[in-house]
Amino acid sequence: MTVDPIVRTAVVGAGTMGNGIAEVLATAGKRVVLVDVSPAALERGMQVIRDRLRRRVQKKRMTAEEMKQVLDRIESSVDLSAVAEAQLVIEAVVERLDVKKSLFSQLDEITDLEAILATNTSSLSVTAIASATKHPERVIGLHFFNPAPVMPLVEVVHGPMSEREVVDQAMAFVKEIGKDPVKVTDTPGFLVNRVARSFHSEAYRLVGDHVAEKRQVDRILRAAGFPMGPFELQDLIGLDINYAASCSVYEGYFHDPRFRPHPHQRQLVDSGSLGKKAGRGHYRYE
Amino acid sequence: MNDIVLIGDGPLAKETSDVFTERGWNVWAMDQLDQPLSSSCAVVDTVTGPVEEKKRLLRRAVELVPNDAPIWTNTLHVTATQVASWVPHPERVGGFSPLMIKQMPLVEVGRPLQAEDDDVWARAVQLWRYVDKQVEVVGDEPGLVFPRTWAMLVNEAAFALTEGVAEADAIDLAMKKGTRFPMGPLEWADTIGVDQVVWILSGLVRELGEDRYRPAPLLRKMVYAGYTGRAAGRGFYRYDVDGKRQSSEISKVSI
Repeated sequence: MTVDPIVRTAVVGAGTMGNGIAEVLATAGKRVVLVDVSPAALERGMQVIRDRLRRRVQKKRMTAEEMKQVLDRIESSVDLSAVAEAQLVIEAVVERLDVKKSLFSQLDEITDLEAILATNTSSLSVTAIASATKHPERVIGLHFFNPAPVMPLVEVVHGPMSEREVVDQAMAFVKEIGKDPVKVTDTPGFLVNRVARSFHSEAYRLVGDHVAEKRQVDRILRAAGFPMGPFELQDLIGLDINYAASCSVYEGYFHDPRFRPHPHQRQLVDSGSLGKKAGRGHYRYE
Repeated sequence: MNDIVLIGDGPLAKETSDVFTERGWNVWAMDQLDQPLSSSCAVVDTVTGPVEEKKRLLRRAVELVPNDAPIWTNTLHVTATQVASWVPHPERVGGFSPLMIKQMPLVEVGRPLQAEDDDVWARAVQLWRYVDKQVEVVGDEPGLVFPRTWAMLVNEAAFALTEGVAEADAIDLAMKKGTRFPMGPLEWADTIGVDQVVWILSGLVRELGEDRYRPAPLLRKMVYAGYTGRAAGRGFYRYDVDGKRQSSEISKVSI
């Protein structure tokens, strides 16, 4: 396995997570190839990065010169083979196992054998994704949180096939780019999404059983020190995103009753009350 | 009112007692009283322990106060309705959560069925206003809102630890950095008491009968071993005599 420091990186998928991760890497001084098969999505992703950096310059958190340097480190391409030179590839495409598996089997062919292949999945099995490659030992999960430029945590997910040196190198890399790495075993929901399930699902139950009202639950948990109550937080995350996480952990643990989503959760999602982005969720927004 | 008969010892009793003494109340332990108190008093029970013991202590305490004195009982693991059934004039009983009562600007209270239509109960609630707590009236179920949510978080973290998803300090770090929780769930359990988590969850299992509230076997084992947290010198982490956490390489619970 490679012992060279990782300087050449690639991110596949220019959506919210992909462009955020590319920005984090480039800001930390890494060269990044940002790939998306859709030219429109790629341009949109680059625009988002430019806008975010520009705001940082306006707020004097970065100089115009630094912004130029960051952007110079990002190369964009619609051709997957542009990742060939990368020592670390982070995949951030749509959360579908078939799509990810087919991408990883291509990455397996395109990249140098010493490159680390990482998936940013939040809900799929890293081991299942790794199984699409001839060298699953170099596949890990690097679970960044949304928004990637802001959230400090990265779950470094290892499956039974991941090689220890690869995991150690990834841990060191995450630290180097200024994030806090946490080593996590490949299990449904990994760590944060799984433990946080109880925060959300118990809130639904308390309200569903008329133990308390939504506003009350939010008020009480804020008073206990949480920065946001569960319902406010769900409105921010998106009820659909949160429901998908609930379902995926529930499925992943073969319907363990501890992880069972609440009927009200699905009802709200079905009704289109998806949170702030929809103008209404648990609460209404202007 | 200015006298409180306090039931219980340990950290929760201490914190609850502070809430009252800091605002000029006289707090009495039962063995400090050789005769009943006057008309201006209340009973505050902080016990999260075996139900029989709680019943015994409460019955002794109500003999020390007048028939209309409010009785506030810790309902982390029982319902106020059950506790009210033990004493004469059950309509004056209210459930409350002593968890983090000192830090929180509010107190969660639950109303027993026996007090459904009684304004005696509404008057009993005044007690919390005298100590500057906002009152949140919630349903009468074990653990109320915050303690129940907290116990479920700790339980899930304990399951994750048991399954080897990550190490204890990694779990705490991840929950703080990934979700901005005020404390990692395991260090939070050590601060409040691992035994409290097990009491709350067991109460929920007993009253609601759902498997989702089953305490992680690791939590029960820790209670058997006396590893109940910071106050005991050992919980998920080890602590020195001053309650300061020791270095992390010896912090892991062997499972």
